[in-house]
Amino acid sequence: MPEMIYHHFRQSLPLGRTAFGHVIAVVLLIGCVHVPTTAVAQDDDIPQWLGEQLGIGVTHRRDNGEMTSLVQPIANAVAKSVVQVVCGGRPVALGTIVSSDGYVITKRSELTGDPILIRLSDDRQLSARVAAVRRSCDLALLHVDSGQNYQPIEWSSDVPPVGSFLISPGRGAKTIGIGVVSVLARPVEHQGRLGVYLEDDTNGFARIGRVHPDSGAALAGLERNDRIVAIDGQSKLDASSCQKTLGGKYAGESVRLTIDRSGSILEVDAMIREFNLMQESENDSKVNGPRNIRLSGFELAIQHDTVLDPDECGGPVLDSKGKVIGVNIARAGRVVSYALPASLVIPEMQSMLEEARAAAR
Amino acid sequence: MVSPWRGVSLGLLAICLGFLQSASAQDTVPPPAQLQGSSVQSTIREGFRATAKAPVGESNSISAANAKGTAVGLPSELTRLYEKGGTPRSLEELRLLEAQHQRIASAAEACTVSVKIGPAEGCGVIITDTGFILTAAHVAMRPGKVAIVTLPGGRRVTATTHGMNRNVDAGLIKINANQNEGRPWPHASLGSSDHLVSGMWCVATGHPGGYSDRRGFVTRVGRILSVRKDALVTDCALIGGDSGGPLFDLAGKLIAIHSRIGNDVADNLHVPVVHYDLSWDRLVSSQAWGYLPGFKPVLGVSGNQTSNVAEIVSVTTGSPAADAGFLEHDIVEEFGDVMITDFESLKRAVADTMPGERAVVWVNRGGQRVKLFVEIGRAD
Repeated sequence: MPEMIYHHFRQSLPLGRTAFGHVIAVVLLIGCVHVPTTAVAQDDDIPQWLGEQLGIGVTHRRDNGEMTSLVQPIANAVAKSVVQVVCGGRPVALGTIVSSDGYVITKRSELTGDPILIRLSDDRQLSARVAAVRRSCDLALLHVDSGQNYQPIEWSSDVPPVGSFLISPGRGAKTIGIGVVSVLARPVEHQGRLGVYLEDDTNGFARIGRVHPDSGAALAGLERNDRIVAIDGQSKLDASSCQKTLGGKYAGESVRLTIDRSGSILEVDAMIREFNLMQESENDSKVNGPRNIRLSGFELAIQHDTVLDPDECGGPVLDSKGKVIGVNIARAGRVVSYALPASLVIPEMQSMLEEARAAAR
Repeated sequence: MVSPWRGVSLGLLAICLGFLQSASAQDTVPPPAQLQGSSVQSTIREGFRATAKAPVGESNSISAANAKGTAVGLPSELTRLYEKGGTPRSLEELRLLEAQHQRIASAAEACTVSVKIGPAEGCGVIITDTGFILTAAHVAMRPGKVAIVTLPGGRRVTATTHGMNRNVDAGLIKINANQNEGRPWPHASLGSSDHLVSGMWCVATGHPGGYSDRRGFVTRVGRILSVRKDALVTDCALIGGDSGGPLFDLAGKLIAIHSRIGNDVADNLHVPVVHYDLSWDRLVSSQAWGYLPGFKPVLGVSGNQTSNVAEIVSVTTGSPAADAGFLEHDIVEEFGDVMITDFESLKRAVADTMPGERAVVWVNRGGQRVKLFVEIGRAD
């Protein structure tokens, strides 16, 4: 008997758009498992459509082995400039080498604060440290402690039109995904929220009117009527100054809150999360698949449809001519990956390099 | 042997891609008073047939796409990929394929529209200069409803829903007359879904997550993974809000309409355009029939077919009707925006809903009018 799941929820869209409600009807058929391809392919009673579904269909995917082989020369050309970033013993991102003296850019919000190792294309592992960050575009500049003569990536200012193929190489010239430009570069507004609805109490202090379920505020145990005394040590806040301070925080960042709960003072650390993720149903979450902690707040981002894993951001994105046109910055949903265009990455990278080199002097 | 439709659901988590919502009771209009003359209908039917036979390679310039449709010239080097699908043989061929995708995406923008019916939002594609829009049945919902159509750039026009073949999730809408200063609507070039085989390249456009003026329409490229009688499966990734949007072949011709997805990013189902052609007259005359297997709407009451009122004889335990508080001997008078006269009309009103839809129901209970809120259930 098929299982039936319905979801009703309201979602408020970004500024200037009206909220709308929607219902997604889901049919989950239980007891269906993957049948081994070989077992089916030899069965003449199986109609063509079923054979296609179980076997041929998989091989025809746009990012199948044949396609990957076809674009291999493109991935090979940048192989020495793509690294894996390991943080706390876990691969968290890719990185793009941007200078011969060992500077690497990567996705900042995936760095946990644990020791960082860089895995090079030749399998060497070298320790690295954070040399500069740019929160506004979620980039970090890492510096590898040892060695010289790294192969920096060569950027291109080409802007591939909608429909252009994009190739995302991983470490060691392995193509991790092939997709196309879905939408030209545009600002992607930041949607990080603590998850509290604030009001002014009679003394003009910020008081929590409601805590959004599944938010960082809910996880941190914040409650209705808690009074916010200070955020990261900054005190004397009314509701609007609280909102302003919290509004400057991106998803994945954490805030220390000083709370007055019926006279007793508490210190609480809470995580800023993407508002869309707080609101989505279990089934939305399933169809979207794994995503990064930070999916928004990019001054400019190209939207493309390459299927990436969250730990595959930070590496270069190439067009079909092999030009490096940007850096993957987020896996944001089933149909959405974001890449920062080279026009944004280059100046940010240069200013981070200047900052890092000045500090190293 | 199981029916093909059973097979479709194998290992699949199917999700209707439109944002569905319950009727808000104020959004009905009288049924479309005057249907287009049969000459228009036959033009479209001929259009379906003519495009099926049209030779590959007849070119349209991109700038003329709005007036002439979305068909774009096909370089002879791409004939193999167009006819049989497959992987490009060289990076040069890959770049030709890419240039084709770019041209199709550019041409598709003008006719890929957002469709809003009440609070529900999906997509559609304009297919005639008179403003017929193909969409998914679950986006159009019911005949005679008001739809707000958002064109590229944010301009909004009103439209009316026509018919729907719910068996395959095919729906038809038409933009109301006199909204384009006598100019023809930009529209897609109709293709045929007869020649399709797995491995072919295709381009999907739409408004995933709903229309956004800052973002505009969204293009995806993929390949046909499976061709079934009632659906195409591709790896053009779709999500809620894409329903009703167009899928184009390599010549820029419309081959299918987005319908539903499974959990896997490569489980994306589209309605082949042939189903619109086969049922064109019924769709234009605002008939609605069938239900998508797995999406049959259910209320959970039984009544007396011969009675001249819709009196409830029994309420199924655990059914949507039971949850809503229906009682035996209730006489249903209104269901959503439909006046109920007998049990048959109640059955028709339920059949016109989608599972998950919420409706306000007025019943007469021992002389008192009682308001009930029901959420329609689902059966196979």
